[in-house]
Amino acid sequence: MRILLIEDDAEAAAFAAKGLREAGHVVDHALDGETGHKMASAGDYDAYVVDRMLPKMDGLVLLSRRRDEGDETPALFLSALGEVDDRVSGLQAGGDDYLVKPYAFQELLARVEALGRRRSAPASSDVTTRYQVGDLELDLITRTVRRAAQKIDLQPREFRLLEYLMRHARQVVTRTMLLENVWEYHFDPQTNVIDVHISRLRSKIDKGFDKPLLKTVRGAGYTISDAD
Amino acid sequence: MLRLFRTTSFRFTLIFVLLFTWAVGVLGAVVYRASFGAAARQTDIIIDNELIVLADLFGESGPGMLTRVIRQRTAWRDDSIYMLIGAPSGAVLAGNLTALPPEAVDTEGGFFDFEFERPILDAAGREIGIEQRQARGKLMRFRSSSEAEQSFLVVVARDIAAREDLRGSLANILLRILAATVLLGVIIGILFSRSLLGRVETVNKTARAIRAGDLSRRIPKTGAGDELDHLSDNLNSMLDQIEQLMTGMREVSDNIAHDLRSPLTRIRNRLTDAMKSGPKEQEAALQATLEETERMLGTFNALLSIARIRSGESASVRERIDLVAIAEEMAELYEPAAQEAGFELTLVTAPSPTVKGSRELVSQAIANFLDNALKYAVGGKHIELRVGPAKNGSAAISVSDDGPGIHPDDRQRVLERYVRLEESRTTQGSGLGLSLAAAIAHAHGAKLRLDDANKEPADGEQKGLRIVMVFPPADQK
Repeated sequence: MRILLIEDDAEAAAFAAKGLREAGHVVDHALDGETGHKMASAGDYDAYVVDRMLPKMDGLVLLSRRRDEGDETPALFLSALGEVDDRVSGLQAGGDDYLVKPYAFQELLARVEALGRRRSAPASSDVTTRYQVGDLELDLITRTVRRAAQKIDLQPREFRLLEYLMRHARQVVTRTMLLENVWEYHFDPQTNVIDVHISRLRSKIDKGFDKPLLKTVRGAGYTISDAD
Repeated sequence: MLRLFRTTSFRFTLIFVLLFTWAVGVLGAVVYRASFGAAARQTDIIIDNELIVLADLFGESGPGMLTRVIRQRTAWRDDSIYMLIGAPSGAVLAGNLTALPPEAVDTEGGFFDFEFERPILDAAGREIGIEQRQARGKLMRFRSSSEAEQSFLVVVARDIAAREDLRGSLANILLRILAATVLLGVIIGILFSRSLLGRVETVNKTARAIRAGDLSRRIPKTGAGDELDHLSDNLNSMLDQIEQLMTGMREVSDNIAHDLRSPLTRIRNRLTDAMKSGPKEQEAALQATLEETERMLGTFNALLSIARIRSGESASVRERIDLVAIAEEMAELYEPAAQEAGFELTLVTAPSPTVKGSRELVSQAIANFLDNALKYAVGGKHIELRVGPAKNGSAAISVSDDGPGIHPDDRQRVLERYVRLEESRTTQGSGLGLSLAAAIAHAHGAKLRLDDANKEPADGEQKGLRIVMVFPPADQK
C-alpha cells in the first residue's frame, strides 16, 4: 500500500513510518497540513493517515478539501481528542476511521490495512454477500455459516463478529476494532471481554477441525486466515 | 458624584422626575383653569345680565327709576359696583365709585379690569380707612328714545379682589408642589442610585477579590429577592462552577503527578538495572517496561476522561436512551467473561422510563461496575445487573455481587479518584473505574450509591456490594 502520513511530530511520524515500511508499505511523510494537501493532490495513495491538529492547515480542513475535490482515498485520523463528539466531527469531515493518541503501533497498522482492504473491495453496486476463508463460508443473505459444508449455529453477535473478521480476512483485527465495529463502544473495558467472545466463537468454528482458522496474533489481536 | 450621573439608575430617575413633574404641572394647570376660568366667565355673565336688566328698566321706566334702583343696590354693599353718570353733564347720579376708572374710557361696550378705593368700615359702620380693591366691569351708554340729546353712562362691575387673592395663593401652592416634586424626585433618585451603586460596588469588590486569587469569595445577598439578588445568585453559581473546574484541573494534575510518578520511577530503575545486566534480563526489563507504559497510558486516559466528563465538555448527554437496551447489550458483552471468571451474570429488567444521557458513557459506567465486580467480588458466585423504574418517574441501574463488599466507612472514598482499598493493592487496574463512573453519574445528574447487596447474610455468605445509579426523570434537568 502507498500511504501518506501527515503528522507534525517528527519522531512519532518516523516511528509510525518505520513500522509501516517494515510491514511492507510505501510511506510518504508530510510535516504540515499544506504540504500534506499538495502531496495528496499530486500522488496516488491507497490511504491517508492524518493528524487532526497540524500546522498551517488543520487535519479536518485538509480532509474536507480532499473530499470536496472528489478524492475518495480512505483516511484515518490520529488525534489526542478522543471523545465521542471529536470522533463524530472527524467522521463528518470525511474520515473513515479514528485512532486516539497515544496508540499502540499494532493498532495503527491493523486499522490502516483494514482501510486499504476497503478500497480494493468491489464497488458498492456489487456488494459482497458471501465470504470464504479456507473451508469456512459465511452467507450474508441466508445468514448462515458453514464449515466443510457443515452448518454452524451462531448467536447474532457471534455472526457479526465472524462477519467482521472474515471481511478483514488475513488481516490483523485488534480488540478495540472489534469493540468499535461489532459492539459500537469506544471505551476499553478492564476485563478481557473480547477474548472470551473470541474463544467462544473459536470453539464453534474451529473445534473438531484439523486446521484452526481463527488465530491470536500476540500483542495485537486476531486474524482469520487459512494460511499456516 | 460625577460617577453618579453616569449610572443607569440615575438616568432613569432623571427621566422619571421629568415625567412626573410634567404630569404634576399639567394637573395643576387643569385645576387652575377649572377653578378660575369658570369663575371669571361667571363674573362676566353676571355683569352682562345685570346690564340687560338695567337697560330694560331704563327703557321702560326712564332715568329716574334707573337712578333709584342703582342707589338701592349700592346700599347693599356686597361685591357689586355700580356707577351712573348723566351725559352730557357728567354728573354722577348714583353708584359707589367715586370716579370713572380711566380704563373704562377706551373700552365702551367691552370688559375692563381696574382698581378702585373702598372705605374700610368697622363693625359699627364707621369709616376707619381706605383700601385698594380690584374689580372687573363693563361700561354702557343708555340713550332714551324720547330725549335724544340726553344719555347716561352705566358702569356695572364686580369686586374680584378676593378671587384674585385666591388665584394668587393657588398658583403659589401649585408652584410649591411642583418644586417639592422635583426636589423629592431628585433626592429619591440620588438615594436609589447610591444604594444600587453600593450593591453593584459589592459585586465589583467580590470580582476584584476573586481576580486577586481568592476564588472562594462569593457575592453577598441582601435577601431582598430582587433582580440584583438573582444576578448575585447566577454569578455565584457561575463562580461555583469555575471553582469546581479549577479544583478539577488541580486534582487532575495532582493525580497525574501522583499516579504516574511511581511507575516512571520504577521504569527508570528497571532500565538502569537492565543496562548493567545481560541480554536476557534486558529483554525481560523491556517487556516489563512495555507493560508498565501500557498501564500508564490506561491510567492517563482514564484521568483525562474523568476530567473531561467532570468539566462537562464531554459528549452530549442529551440523547434519549433506553437503559434496558443498554443493559441487555452490556450483559451480552460481559456474560462470557463473567462465566469464565466463575460468576453467573443475571440480567433483571423491568420496563423503565427513558432517560437523557449518552449511551457510550452509561455503557462505560456499567462496564466499570461489572469490571469492579469481576475483579473484587472474591469468593462470590453471582452478579446481578438490574434495570428498573425508580421513584418519581426516574430509572435506576444497579449491579450487585456476593463478594466481600465494601465497609460503609470506605464507600465514599472509593468513588473519589485514585482510591483503591489497601486489600486490593495487589490487583491490577488503574483504580479509577468507580471514580470514572461517579463522574459519569455526575454528568447525567444521576446519583451513585453503594450499599450491601445482602443486608443479613446467612452463615458462609458475604455481604456483597450493590452499586446503584439513579437517573433523574428525562423531562427534568
